[in-house]
Amino acid sequence: MSFGPAVVSPSWLEAHRESDSVVAVDVRDRRDYEELGHLPGAVSVPGDRFRDPSSVAAGKLPAADDFADLLAEAGIDPDDTLVAYGGDPALAARFLVTALVYGHEGSLYLLDGGLEAWRDGDDRSLTTDVPDREPTDYEAALCEDAPLVDRDAVEAAVEGDAVLVDTRTAAEYEQSRIPGAVHLDWEDLLEDGRLKSEDDLEALLAERGIEPDERILLYCNTARRLSHTFVVLRHLGYEDVAFYEGSLTDWVRAEAPEWDPVELQEQVRHYADNGGFEAMVDELGEDVLGRLKLIGLYHQKQRGYFMLRTRAPGGRLTVEQARTIGEVADEFARAPAEYGGPDQNPVFGDGYLDATTRQDVQMHWIEIEDVAEIWDRYDAVGLSTMQACGNSVRNVVGCPAAGLDPDETVDIEPVVERVSQRFLGDHHYANLPRKFKVSVTGCHEDCARSGIQDLGLTPARKDGKDGFVARVGGGLSDGPRVASDIDLFVEPDQVDDLVAAMADLFMDHGSYLDTAVNRLRFLVAEFGPERFREELESYADFEFVEPDEVLTMDYRGDHVGVHEEADGRSYVGLNVPTGRMGGDEFAELAELADELGDGEVRLTPNQNVLVPHLTDDDLEALLEDPLLERYSPDPGPFTRGIVTCTGREFCNYGIIETKNRAIRWARELDDWAEQVGIADDHEAIRIHMSGCSASCAQPQLGDFGLRGEVYRDDYESGRAADLGLGGDLGNDEFIDWLVGKIPIDDVPDVVKATMCAYDADSEPEESFTEWADRTSNAELREIVTERPARDSPAIGTEVS
Amino acid sequence: MSGTDPAATDGPRPGVPQAGVKGIGEDPREQDRDVAEAPGKIWFRDLDEAVIEADRCIQCASCVAACPSDSIGIDEDEGRPTLVKMCTGCSRCWDFCPRSGLRYERHLELTQEERGLAEPGTYAARATDEAANAGQDGGVVTALLAALLEAGEIDGAVVAREQEDEPLRGEAVLATSREELLAAGGSIYNQTMGLGQLDELLADADLGSEAHGASDSRAGSETTRETDDPALAFVGTPCMIQGATALDRYDHEPADPIALTVALMCTRSFEHSRLVSRLETFDVDPAAVDTLDISDGELRATDAAGETLLETDVDAFDAAGLRGCDECADFVGGAADISVGNVGSSDGETTVVVRTETGESAWETAAPALETAAIDRPATLEKLADWNRRRAESILPREYDPEAGIGITYEHHRESYDGTDREPEPLNPARVHQYEEWC
Repeated sequence: MSFGPAVVSPSWLEAHRESDSVVAVDVRDRRDYEELGHLPGAVSVPGDRFRDPSSVAAGKLPAADDFADLLAEAGIDPDDTLVAYGGDPALAARFLVTALVYGHEGSLYLLDGGLEAWRDGDDRSLTTDVPDREPTDYEAALCEDAPLVDRDAVEAAVEGDAVLVDTRTAAEYEQSRIPGAVHLDWEDLLEDGRLKSEDDLEALLAERGIEPDERILLYCNTARRLSHTFVVLRHLGYEDVAFYEGSLTDWVRAEAPEWDPVELQEQVRHYADNGGFEAMVDELGEDVLGRLKLIGLYHQKQRGYFMLRTRAPGGRLTVEQARTIGEVADEFARAPAEYGGPDQNPVFGDGYLDATTRQDVQMHWIEIEDVAEIWDRYDAVGLSTMQACGNSVRNVVGCPAAGLDPDETVDIEPVVERVSQRFLGDHHYANLPRKFKVSVTGCHEDCARSGIQDLGLTPARKDGKDGFVARVGGGLSDGPRVASDIDLFVEPDQVDDLVAAMADLFMDHGSYLDTAVNRLRFLVAEFGPERFREELESYADFEFVEPDEVLTMDYRGDHVGVHEEADGRSYVGLNVPTGRMGGDEFAELAELADELGDGEVRLTPNQNVLVPHLTDDDLEALLEDPLLERYSPDPGPFTRGIVTCTGREFCNYGIIETKNRAIRWARELDDWAEQVGIADDHEAIRIHMSGCSASCAQPQLGDFGLRGEVYRDDYESGRAADLGLGGDLGNDEFIDWLVGKIPIDDVPDVVKATMCAYDADSEPEESFTEWADRTSNAELREIVTERPARDSPAIGTEVS
Repeated sequence: MSGTDPAATDGPRPGVPQAGVKGIGEDPREQDRDVAEAPGKIWFRDLDEAVIEADRCIQCASCVAACPSDSIGIDEDEGRPTLVKMCTGCSRCWDFCPRSGLRYERHLELTQEERGLAEPGTYAARATDEAANAGQDGGVVTALLAALLEAGEIDGAVVAREQEDEPLRGEAVLATSREELLAAGGSIYNQTMGLGQLDELLADADLGSEAHGASDSRAGSETTRETDDPALAFVGTPCMIQGATALDRYDHEPADPIALTVALMCTRSFEHSRLVSRLETFDVDPAAVDTLDISDGELRATDAAGETLLETDVDAFDAAGLRGCDECADFVGGAADISVGNVGSSDGETTVVVRTETGESAWETAAPALETAAIDRPATLEKLADWNRRRAESILPREYDPEAGIGITYEHHRESYDGTDREPEPLNPARVHQYEEWC
């Protein structure tokens, strides 16, 4: 390969283009090339075909084979001289750099001034004729001496090993950059679209300290702009130029104070007393709203108000913590008059909170003016909202009966605590490509739902030692995936190291460039579980071993009811339908737990609460408390099984209203179940209703999974739901979406018709999930669509 | 029950998507799914593949307006809709896209039935004042809107104006005075995506402070209409009007501010950068072009002095056109209250069709500012509309059927389009805007 790439003028091309081995390459859209015309003899290699953020190749590089196919199809030989041009010179340069990286042997040139400069010459017309070039058998492979550097080299450059050059705009450079980087906006090398004179360029580069005898490393955001600077520097004779291909988003963020959760929390505290929301948005910019998730503040649908998420690792709260949360909700989670004030919600009134499926607590209507006070109260009792949302290690889900269950293998409390503490407030780990969800179960019933976590740990044994086996890459929402078992045994004190190793792997391999599909599960799917395990091991500081025995025997749906503890006392699981209760009630519950229990309240992944450590007398006293009429340990099957997300009431994304609707349905369906005599046949019938496709209510796990939608016919449109049946995490089975867009008011009748069909068709002792699994989707679809018309009683029983 | 549902299909048939699996290409979200997707489920990426990647998007911005979570924005560089935050899979973008889920011919039929006058009025008109020179072909739109503004019937009008820094590139503006309307006179030949920008335009306009705010006649009050309940005239191409009126038919919020729709008769729109490039190949400096005029199959570019810069067969500009426009049979803008164009009337006059009571009342309000006469060659308008429909029917891969249901399912679209040169193209991650907002 000749030294290059370099820049050539239109007249150079004019003089050489007749040669068969000089090929002009047009990088514009295929349609522009075909219909608007191109340089005579030019072939088309569109930019969007050689830029691929999702391939396994670094950054935006395409896979080598894909690039080879593209060039072969264009009729390019490995030793052809290529002259790239397009509307965007950086994109043309990008083509040359890609060819260089993949070992093109011929010379690589950038056409100075591109298409426009070509057209400005005499008789340099365009054509729509496509040159008749035979496809070749071009082969491409990553060059050993490709000018690509990895992250370590950039880190070394920061230490003074090379000159680090930021080729983005001044504004981007000012906002955040890698320490020590000098700035050189790639467009400053151009004047009216043409390359500046060599004297001007040399003066400019010298001024920035970019000297030909130095080692130069270039970076930008997506490796397009740096490509142009790369070509120009090589053109000027710079010999030691290389570039970082991946995105440095995580790094830039790890250096930027505005992405530091601790710093961010201080900033927001400042605005609590200095102008509140408007001042904050004015001074920090509207995009601060996205970053606030890092500290547990989620801007709700109503402008200026926030949902505040409080993390409870493993679902465990002291009674002081629970009381504080309840009091804060009662005092601050109140709607302003314009949104209905005390009557904001017809079912729940005002001042309420929501227990979530990740054992967090959420409340709404929080204002920036309130947060300093709330955080002060939280600090006093050891609560935190930091990293409860955003792209970090989220609240660790744990088995809610940890330490209580007579059959558990490992007490998970210290494990959960260590993982939580390790990442809390850590700037380095606060900005992963996406969120990272971890759960730990110590009992034999997978209470913490390992199948839907990025990393799920369940008990196992190795050489007589108790520990966990790891599953990776589970998740719901768009592109649901059941976690893969990677046959990896970890001891309890290795768990936080494993989480850190996985976070490091995620930062290196999880794309910051293909943001719609960069949850860990897509990485696991791309690598495959075996290779993922190998990669993960390279990040861990301990040797990977297989378990001798895994100890998960069963799957437990919930913890509602009275259960015996290992020490002979009892714990009571209270059903909180949809997870919502008044702040005052939550504080009252804390009082009861303080008085009767042993200073503890727990949250479960079913949006319920649990009061542990009750002696027989205390148990009796608790069961008689009026609070338990509404939050019963023995509810009807539908009330017991209902799980919903926040829904349209507060969420920017929610398509349907969920909480009030679900409460109403559950009551109505329980009455119906009594009347038709099936209530006693079922402990729980699980309706999981999510307001949109984001799966916050985990609809794929329900007996009935519902997902908000809209329907429309010729004359009207309305709210609707997609429906699936028979989720069964115990058997690693999610629901299939059977039917789309059922008008929302028809759903209760669909539920009734389905329960009736199950009743009529099931074998003795056959559970609903077994029945749904056995029945074909076609039959199930028939059951849910061939429902009786609305308003007519389902099976001979009128429901008011 | 993982993966696809064997009971619902006899194995994959060409042209028919596999039950439970959506889309084409190798999107990681669709590979080895552990959950089969619901029939008819739509994500924005399905629209992207079927319409945008397939180069059929007509840039009407109906999807942008229809999205309830504001997840669809406009890619400035490519001038096309793109996801800017999480998609909730609600299907609305598809439902209101005239190139996919909205059977626009059915929508036109229903709008006619529900809102159409028994006898639409057809006129040749010209403005009597300075608007005649500002606008194209008689300045009727400018005069009409100015009269409505001054009568307090509307608070503003969404129209297209040439961008200051980019020759021939139209942008949507909310004009709230006669002066602003005059400044925006003349046609623009590329789409502005104004339907997707109503919120921003309203937020910037500060209508409440306008002296001539329209009185809220619906409430019978004399008070100036507040910014949160504005009445706007919406001027646009027929497809923009299809989207706006379809949203309105279902009482969707984005259409609330629109009180009057005015369609600009249209055979096709141009993609801006291609239009500029095309002019350059004819050695015409786009910056020198003051007006572009298409009539009788001729494209004519004139400079500010009225000098002709180029006159050529409009077919020579095919390459600059939006390919999706070929599938449109709605040259006249049949869903609008009022349509305007130049077919069938003499130079210096505008052909006007008043189609609804809302249109009629607006027309009467503006009567003093307009000179109207019987249309010169009524048959020409009908002939062109006929030709346009026949051409669209010959190109449209699906059936053209005003009596069929208004919704076109994803599956039906695939059955009709797969195997044609308008079939869905896989999503190209290199072209996808990388958004960072999720719930």
